[in-house]
Amino acid sequence: MADFKKYLRLTALMMKNCLVREMQFKANFLVRLFTEMMWLVMQFIYIGVMYGQTGQIAGWTLWEMVVLAGTNYVISQLFEALFYDNCMRLIDQIRQGDLDFNLVKPINTQFLVSLRYTDYASIVNSSVGIGVVLFALGKLGIGVTAGGMVLFAALVANSILIYYSILFILSVWTFWIGRSNNLMELYWQFGQFSRYPGEIYPWLLRRLLQTLIPMLIVSNVPAGVLIHKLQGGLILYGFTLGAVFLALTAWIWQAGLKHYRSASS
Amino acid sequence: MTTSISTTAAARKSPLHKYWVILSTRTQEDMAYRANYVFGAIFRFLPLVTMIFLWFAVYAGRGMAPINGMTFKDMIVYNTLMYIARGFSSVPGTMSDISKDIKDGQLNRYLIKPMDYFGYQVMYRLAHKLVFWYIALLTFPFVFWFMSLSGHYFTHWPSFWEWLSFIVSLAIAFCIGIQFCFVIGTLAFWFLEISTFLFVVMMLEFFMSGQLIPLNILPQAMHRVLFLSPFGYEGYWPCMILMGKVPQDQLLPVLGRGLLWTGIFYGIVRMMWKAGLKRYSAVGG
Repeated sequence: MADFKKYLRLTALMMKNCLVREMQFKANFLVRLFTEMMWLVMQFIYIGVMYGQTGQIAGWTLWEMVVLAGTNYVISQLFEALFYDNCMRLIDQIRQGDLDFNLVKPINTQFLVSLRYTDYASIVNSSVGIGVVLFALGKLGIGVTAGGMVLFAALVANSILIYYSILFILSVWTFWIGRSNNLMELYWQFGQFSRYPGEIYPWLLRRLLQTLIPMLIVSNVPAGVLIHKLQGGLILYGFTLGAVFLALTAWIWQAGLKHYRSASS
Repeated sequence: MTTSISTTAAARKSPLHKYWVILSTRTQEDMAYRANYVFGAIFRFLPLVTMIFLWFAVYAGRGMAPINGMTFKDMIVYNTLMYIARGFSSVPGTMSDISKDIKDGQLNRYLIKPMDYFGYQVMYRLAHKLVFWYIALLTFPFVFWFMSLSGHYFTHWPSFWEWLSFIVSLAIAFCIGIQFCFVIGTLAFWFLEISTFLFVVMMLEFFMSGQLIPLNILPQAMHRVLFLSPFGYEGYWPCMILMGKVPQDQLLPVLGRGLLWTGIFYGIVRMMWKAGLKRYSAVGG
């Protein structure tokens, strides 16, 4: 328990430290807000062009698709806010031998390197995603109960952890292969799969995206809860998957550390 | 008796030799991290998977009717060929590297050397492209072969002239791609903070080159502007040429406009560089 408090206090400290840094460069903060928003607009143009050609895509109407896109945006923004930068930094730290500084600190190193930096612009951006989701739900005429809201929030948190686990495992690969920036591209490439309904994929691929590379679980399940478009078992399955993936990160991290050379390459 | 002033072997070589050295060193540097490129070369095709199923669902929703002359198969082939076009026109990091060199005063390192900074950048990026294509040649044919086998997507066999025009259009794609990056990057001579601007420009380029959506299925009102813009040459035109969607008598005008844009950009590159150097303060800031 004392440990838990210590980690909680540290997290708060690191986040405060980042907020102070962030506020020193306010212009940069606004830039990030703006640029991320442009991506969202681009995605809506894409969706708009597609729905200009047909009324439904794999059984999903326009506004259902917008709920999905908005949910996915919220999740990816929150993930990028908390973990993305840290994973990118981890790669450089491993490659250049800078991990030493973190290894000597009297704290769980995985915790430290995973949560060290917070990107506040992405947190603000995620609220835009929430606005989009609410707007689309309004268009669909769907109300959300308090229970539904809590479940949605829990599923979003779970999805963020799944994203984190995948990206963390990819970054830890650096221990073995030396430079893996292109591997990190996988995040963006995998991300593609989560933007659209699972129904568009054939059976085998869809199962793959629900298990080994659970990109359909991270977006389709939380969005499905909102628009009542979900088979019940998937919720429980999603949470289980999150736990398994998180456990996997700790194991791979330990294995990777054995390969750490503490030297630049 | 006259003695040569130049004594080192390197100086006796052709004035272009230094650019060869840049190309060769940069290539070797990149080759040291081959695994990085191999991963990139394999996984970059993942979005294509989503693309195929998503567009299939769209076309299925409209009874497979073509959209502005683009059938479902056309759409897939277009998006596949886009990888080749972007393999020539995209030079990631160039804009920001150039603007950083200017802002931080790092440009001094290059100015004191008897070489042209633009030439240096071209060689540097060409080296990236060489390594990219060295790896890509191992994976691209496999993807194309798999696609023609699994879905018979490629229904058009290009004529000799279309092949030739395609190759020329790829050269144009590279020239416009790198020159555009250089022009935008050198804006750093005048403006201190241009990263937002860079981003907006890159988004526009992404959209106007037809990477997001084929330009010909966008609203008619936008066609005229988009077809005449230089950005189409970074993606749309090479794809359309090889797909046989550009009529034979239009090949020359299309390529001609591309070459014209290449020339215009070269002029802007030189003008911006000359004017920019006059403003250059050679210090970080």
